[in-house]
Amino acid sequence: MTGRGEVTTGALPIGQFVKLVKQTVIRDPLFKNQALRGEVTQWKQYASGHTYFSLRDKDGQMRAVIWKGRCAIDPSIKEGSEVVVLASLDLYIQRGEIQLNVERIEPVSILGELEKAKRLLVEQLRKEGELDRPRHMIPPLPRHIAIITGAGSAALSDMQRLIENRWPGLRRTVIGVLVQGPRATEEIVRGLAAARRLSNPSVAKKRGEPPVDLVIVGRGGGSPEDLWAFNLEPVVRAIIASPVPVVSAVGHESDILVSDLVADLRASTPSDAIERVVPVLPELYYLLDEFEERLSVASRRQIHDSKQLLSILHARLRVAPMAGLNRAKAKVLALSSRIQISAHQSLGLQATRLAHFEASLSAIHPQRVLERGYSMTQTSDGAVLSSVEGLEVGQKIILNFADGSADAEIKNTHTDEEET
Amino acid sequence: MSDKKQTYTEAIQRLEAIVATLERGGLGLDETLKLYEEGADLLRLCKTELTAAEGRLNELQLGEIEAELQTEEQ
Repeated sequence: MTGRGEVTTGALPIGQFVKLVKQTVIRDPLFKNQALRGEVTQWKQYASGHTYFSLRDKDGQMRAVIWKGRCAIDPSIKEGSEVVVLASLDLYIQRGEIQLNVERIEPVSILGELEKAKRLLVEQLRKEGELDRPRHMIPPLPRHIAIITGAGSAALSDMQRLIENRWPGLRRTVIGVLVQGPRATEEIVRGLAAARRLSNPSVAKKRGEPPVDLVIVGRGGGSPEDLWAFNLEPVVRAIIASPVPVVSAVGHESDILVSDLVADLRASTPSDAIERVVPVLPELYYLLDEFEERLSVASRRQIHDSKQLLSILHARLRVAPMAGLNRAKAKVLALSSRIQISAHQSLGLQATRLAHFEASLSAIHPQRVLERGYSMTQTSDGAVLSSVEGLEVGQKIILNFADGSADAEIKNTHTDEEET
Repeated sequence: MSDKKQTYTEAIQRLEAIVATLERGGLGLDETLKLYEEGADLLRLCKTELTAAEGRLNELQLGEIEAELQTEEQ
């Protein structure tokens, strides 16, 4: 039982212990000037000027005090307010209770909440792939633009003026909607729906105008809260669902809204939207005129070149028949000389052959035979007799000699066979 | 996206090609005339497109346009 005695003699008075704890607690840098966030409960402002409350969230809570005059208190703070405090841990010795000495207190702005929701929405869209989805092409020549913006707003008149400067009379339909306040989201979504209906060819036909082929949705600059509708899911989803390209044109250059992230084109301001989608008509005409000029100059030169080629061909054609004729003449000459030569050759040949013929002919001429002592017997009517047959006794015959003839008469006939 | 717009861009691109071909030269008369006529047709088409974009300027409140559409869609 010695322990009990030691405990008794070594026991600290509670007050001292609490002071010790307090020393430890207030020295720890972790517990000094810490920003804390929570909901205000048991909010009580005393006549003394001190304010007491508890700061809590779903996991825990702690008492807090704002000493008189320590900091300005936003009058909007009340029971249930979400606040951020800058506080140090303290220990109230008399009651042994830990509490927060608050140096500053700020209501968590609605914007903070909105920012959080915006981040979550962007995260969600990224996951769904909507941020990287393929975008509609902005028509190079919009035929009918729908502009969804505040009716009578400065942004609208800026846009109208810019369009008239760039393309006077460009067909457009302005759909006037509320762009801030509690009904803005719903109206912008309905405006986008109306634009989608105007893009339907059969509706457009009934209205006697081309379908809407480009939508500009936006508003001029304002406080972040004023622009907030363009960060909200219904508007963002309506932009994503649009069958025609949508240009998001909200606020000032520095404002980036979720509508900018999902639109087919992000314009930094409403005026910027017009500059990016509405061509300058005179420039288009200038381009066409330039084409026209180049087309006609180049064509004329081509035709001129062709003509020149034609005249060269013509000149060549003119001399061509003569050349042909000369060639033909030369050919005829060549041929005729060849004919002459071959005729000569042929004639010479004939002459030689003729001489031979004459020689052989003269060798067998009857005269020559007669000269050798033979005679030729003819009937009185001139027929040459080469046989005894047929001769009659008393028939007159003529005997031909080389130097004359003699008349004779057949006395008798003998054949060679009779003798043998 | 209507086909008309595509046609305008395509027409401009074709025009560029035609003019470039003609400017390069070395073409026959027949081909030159054919290209010239095609180019002239394209120019006419583009000018028609430019005038076609001019039209009515509607400025309506959301409620008004919705009411108009309501009757038109019936």
